Amino acid sequence: MDLSVILWFVSIADIVIGLSLGSRLFLIAVGLSLIFGVLGVLNFAHGAFYMIGAYVALAVTNHLIDNFWLAVVAGALAVGVVGVLIEVGTIRPLYERAEGELDQLIVTFGFVLVIHEVVRFVWGSQPYSMDAPASLAFSVSIAGSTFSAYRLFVIGAAFVVMAGLWLFVTKTYFGALVRGTSSDREMASMLGVDVPRLYTAVFFLGSFLAGLGGALSAPLQSTSPALGDQVIIDAFIIVVIGGLGSMFGAFVGAMLVGLMQAIGPQFIAAGHIAIPFVAMVIVLLFRPEGLFGGIGE
Amino acid sequence: MGVSHYTVAGLTMIGEPGSIRNNENTPGGRAGPRVDRRSFLKATGTGLAATGLAGCLGDDDDGTVTLGAMYIFSGFASLYGDEAERGFDLAVEEINENGGIDGQDVEIIARDTEGDADTAIRQMTSLIEEDGVDGLFGLDSSGVAQAMAPQVEEQRVPLMVTHAATPFLTSPEGEHDNSVGNEWVFRNCNNLSIDMYGAAQVAAELNATEWATIGPDYAFGYETWDYFQAYLEGLGADAEFTEEQYPGLETSDFTPYISSVIGAEPDGVITPLWGADLTTFLGQADEAGWFDEIEYTLFSVGMGTDLPADGSPLPEGQHASTRYDPFVPESEENETFRETYYEEYDTLPTYNAEGAYRAVYLYKDAIEGDENDPEAIRDTFTGMEHSGPVGEYRFDEETNQAVVPAIWGAVSQDEEWESNVLDPVDVYDVTSDELDDLLADSELPSGV
Repeated sequence: MDLSVILWFVSIADIVIGLSLGSRLFLIAVGLSLIFGVLGVLNFAHGAFYMIGAYVALAVTNHLIDNFWLAVVAGALAVGVVGVLIEVGTIRPLYERAEGELDQLIVTFGFVLVIHEVVRFVWGSQPYSMDAPASLAFSVSIAGSTFSAYRLFVIGAAFVVMAGLWLFVTKTYFGALVRGTSSDREMASMLGVDVPRLYTAVFFLGSFLAGLGGALSAPLQSTSPALGDQVIIDAFIIVVIGGLGSMFGAFVGAMLVGLMQAIGPQFIAAGHIAIPFVAMVIVLLFRPEGLFGGIGE
Repeated sequence: MGVSHYTVAGLTMIGEPGSIRNNENTPGGRAGPRVDRRSFLKATGTGLAATGLAGCLGDDDDGTVTLGAMYIFSGFASLYGDEAERGFDLAVEEINENGGIDGQDVEIIARDTEGDADTAIRQMTSLIEEDGVDGLFGLDSSGVAQAMAPQVEEQRVPLMVTHAATPFLTSPEGEHDNSVGNEWVFRNCNNLSIDMYGAAQVAAELNATEWATIGPDYAFGYETWDYFQAYLEGLGADAEFTEEQYPGLETSDFTPYISSVIGAEPDGVITPLWGADLTTFLGQADEAGWFDEIEYTLFSVGMGTDLPADGSPLPEGQHASTRYDPFVPESEENETFRETYYEEYDTLPTYNAEGAYRAVYLYKDAIEGDENDPEAIRDTFTGMEHSGPVGEYRFDEETNQAVVPAIWGAVSQDEEWESNVLDPVDVYDVTSDELDDLLADSELPSGV
């Protein structure tokens, strides 16, 4: 199909929707990528973390304080704390173990099941919806299509987070420690870096971002126990496409997958869900390291 | 209430050999003082055989008519199970207060299918083999119902389907590649084919020629679109079919699909989205300006989700269908049911509640004065004429489908009942011959 024919079918609305889907996916994929890049841990529970962020934000606005922004912060922090507890309690003891990667994978997968059941027990299996903050509860018309201002805000938030992370990793002392440790853990340790503490900090940051993504996305989607399973698959596709460990790769990969999800239904009524998978296979075949590589890239 | 209950194992009696022995010899007593291994095994075997063969190993001497209810009680469509439970609970209460069935109490054992075929078949097997139910009813999902049909035939237990709508369930095996109808499977509510006949009648009257669909990504979504098109073409309506979207079940963000449909600029859309997916869709469609851009949206499962008034209600003025309307027909039987139900639950009955309620009465009417035997029940259901809140109807002898009308109307908020209702509402009576004629140019069976 000629490129101009595809562009003819792709509207501004599709691009906006694609970016909004991509923005949500970025917030989860970047944490996943960061944790893998520094700790070498492939955190299967990252989708479940995203789900917890959404549920905590819901619970805070419904039962504690009717302030959306505080709920988002609470969701992100709560997930950060959960991440730290899991990392310190169950993953840290496995770093030195031979074949530890597999054990880490199994532990994090175990937490997917545990978190899923806890959420079902606490909130039930029915989906919940959450209102966008009143200050952004208005519609914006772009090229003849209507969007909620909140959807546009989430796109902006993803760009801000990306810029903030880039500055953090490339311009700060902590960022230098993170980059150094991800390159050579033993050397960093010999130079006096408290590696276990750094790992926990990075795990907190990655988990915090997943929680932030979940909480920010709550008004754009229904929140149910199935949410974590849905997003983790997309997140894995994104980090494979972008390159495991690359923040910029996660950003580009997320936006690409978001656009594929938005534009796919235009061309294939059913089965378009497979498009990102096909893209992942192509990347794996022709550029197995992903489009980008390495922390700070 | 409290007659229905959920059981997991269903083997409680077998663990109490004394109670089985008492069942044979000394009714009402508790376990005897000594039970050796041999007598335990013997009693267990006797109990299992009695359960399997007689199917009524009740606590009392009179016996109990035990029915298995299979609905979705958890997950994104648990609302349907909750509604059905209200319906069958009410029927059981009424029947038992009025002397039961030939003096026997009715007991319902409710099981959660989780909307999953494997789970449903496991539950069905347990209901038949462990609980010895006299008959089965329920099922919300067409996919589950299609998987169950051959199984009930093998087990030789009657199944009265009260919700699942695929026409292939009541299309005799062999009529079409997908047909699974057999002599043990009945359906007491209208099916997708009847419903789409009504939808096509509505659509043909509207000032709309370009039609689109957005439906769940499985047989029910595709069948809705196929039958809608086939009936519109059968009616000779001026219609074009321009866009179709099939998001997966439990989609959390419908926005890309909504955008695609809006982008195709159809005059009207038919949507069989259901359960919590419909609720999620409604909120996101509203946000995207769906109801400003698209003149007509026909909701084929809307009133099942909508009536209980939790979640986003269907927008007023849009078209929706129902398998049963609490105000149609204006009969004493319907009014009594509606009033009793409202008094009990403080809400109007949905079609799933009415279907489950009527299923229990169907078993009562089939068993009363006759043998409580699966084959006798099956034979009575075949071609049976019956009357319930939904009105007077009969089961087609060849398909076992209840010949009931399609009901479509405009969604309207009713202050008196604090609920959405269909007003005005249109009832489309139709015969199986008329449906077959309209589908003549397609390969689709009417399932009626």
